[in-house]
Order: sequence, then structure tokens, then C-alpha cells
Amino acid sequence: MSIAASVLDAVRAETALRPGARAVRAGLRIGELSGVEPDSLRFCLEALVAGSDLEPLAFELELRPWKRRCLDCRAEFRVVDFNPSCPVCGSASTEAAGGDEMEFSYLEVEEP
Amino acid sequence: MRIPLERKVLNENDRIAAGLRERFRGRGVFCLNLISSPGSGKTSLLERTLEGFDKSRRVAVLTGDIQTDNDARRLARFGFPVRQITTGGACHLDASMVDRALTDIAGDYQILFLENVGNLVCPTSYDLGEDARAVVLSVTEGEDKPLKYPATFHHADLMVLNKIDLLPYVPFQMELARENARRVQPEIEIVDVSCTTGEGLDRWRAWLEAQL
Repeated sequence: MSIAASVLDAVRAETALRPGARAVRAGLRIGELSGVEPDSLRFCLEALVAGSDLEPLAFELELRPWKRRCLDCRAEFRVVDFNPSCPVCGSASTEAAGGDEMEFSYLEVEEP
Repeated sequence: MRIPLERKVLNENDRIAAGLRERFRGRGVFCLNLISSPGSGKTSLLERTLEGFDKSRRVAVLTGDIQTDNDARRLARFGFPVRQITTGGACHLDASMVDRALTDIAGDYQILFLENVGNLVCPTSYDLGEDARAVVLSVTEGEDKPLKYPATFHHADLMVLNKIDLLPYVPFQMELARENARRVQPEIEIVDVSCTTGEGLDRWRAWLEAQL
């Protein structure tokens, strides 16, 4: 819920930079390892927007996969079934390469 | 009109955390963020840790709970500065809570423990300016916790497997728990301890001293 509140604070701050503008849609990228459950976040966002000054703001949540990179063959791969090994060459030396995103990607506004 | 916004949702928290981290670096402070489910033994681990420290050590603790200052009372007995952060509903600590609570701690410290609110989900997302994260998992929980809460274990540097004195009474498989943690975070270090018998605490202390 506090993450949802941070999202709305940022939307308000960004909209305030554009006098008269109204935010209609916010795009967010949520990684599998971000610690945020997209459905719960959406629920909280919608609950906070309902009846607020931001209504009817909508959200687009883009889910980002958990990825690692192979230190031997440099392949970047999606982690499936918690397996951190490289599916291309089989190496176990891999490093984190994404999935902890919790970012804005865009804000759509209507201007007068 | 679509405005591209390339920024983190928690960038205000991250900004404060970056300021804390810079301050800690400047003063040579090692800051550890302790995360676990409620009841895994974060406070017990800190009790045993503080108890074992020479009184000349410069150590401070901030302990977070939704309500009560029970943990701060438990930890204050050892003579080191301890402050309770009562979040009043929030299920995690954030960087601004840490920043405010630190103004209450006078003097210089070399080690700062941040005992997060007992929760394996929300604390993960909030950078507190720490140098390292430790997650405590007790053997009365499931071996699959690292797989159920991958984000928390993925961001941890150390897993403390606690309550190993209870292993004869529970079906917990240590090797499976370790394997699960390493699937989520191959570089994670693991120490097995019992805060009740003291077994393994030397390995935990050795890990801690190696971070300084």
C-alpha cells in the first residue's frame, strides 16, 4: 500500500509540473524479483485512486522477467523453475541481469 | 500526450538511502539490515550478538515493529544504544524512518544493526542505506521459503538458519533449505546457528567481523 502511495505521489508531482494537465494513465514496470505482487499493487492503486483527485487514472503494469547472464558464454536468459544455470552452455557461473525493476515507464496526460 | 518517465517508484526512499549510505561510508560504519518472518529470531540473534560484544565496542541498533517497544527493551539490557522505531502500521522500515531514528543516537558507532519489521515481503523493496542484508530463516519454517519469497532471498548476502537446536523435533531438511536459497541467490553465504544453545554463533560473529 505504501508503494502504491509512492506511485500516486509521483504522479501528482509530475502532473503538477504541467499546469492544467490531468494524468490519465501511468505505465509501470514490475520485475519478478521486485518483491511486489502485481495484482496486489494494482488492487492498492485502484483502491487509492477511487474517490481521489486522480480518478479515473488508469495503470498499465508491464511484468519484467527474472533474468541472469552467463559469465562464460555471455548469454542472457530468463530464470525458469529457479534454475540459475545457463541453459545455453550449462555453466553455473551466472550473474543477476534483471527482474528487480519497480519503475515508471511513462505517464500519459491530457492537457487543456 | 505520453511523457516518458525513467525513474524508480521508490526514488525518494532511494535518495534518502543513498544519503545514509554515504554517511555510513564516510564514518566507517558497517550497516546490516536484518529481515525475516515474525518469530524467526532476529531479536534473539541480536541479543546473543550484543551479549558477546566487549562493552568497548561501538555498536548501535534500530529495531522496527508495528507496535510496542518490547524489542528495544530486550536489547537495551546490554548497554549499547538501541532505539525502537514503531512504524504504527507500516509493515517495513523505510530510509526516512532510519534517518529520523539515527538523530536520536548520540556518539559514534562502527556497527549499526537495523532489525526490520518481521515480514518477508515488503522490507525487500526498501533500501535503508545498508551495506549488507541478512535474512533469518528458522527450522520451524518451511525449507521452501526461499522459493516462496525469492525477492527477499535474492537480495540477501547472508542467510542465517536459526533454531538448529530444534532439528531433532522438526522435519526440516537443512540441505534442501540451503539448496533452495542458492537457487535464488547463488552467492548467498549461509551460517547455521542456535540462539538458544549458542551453537554456530562463532560462525555468525566471524562473518560479521569479516564485513568490518
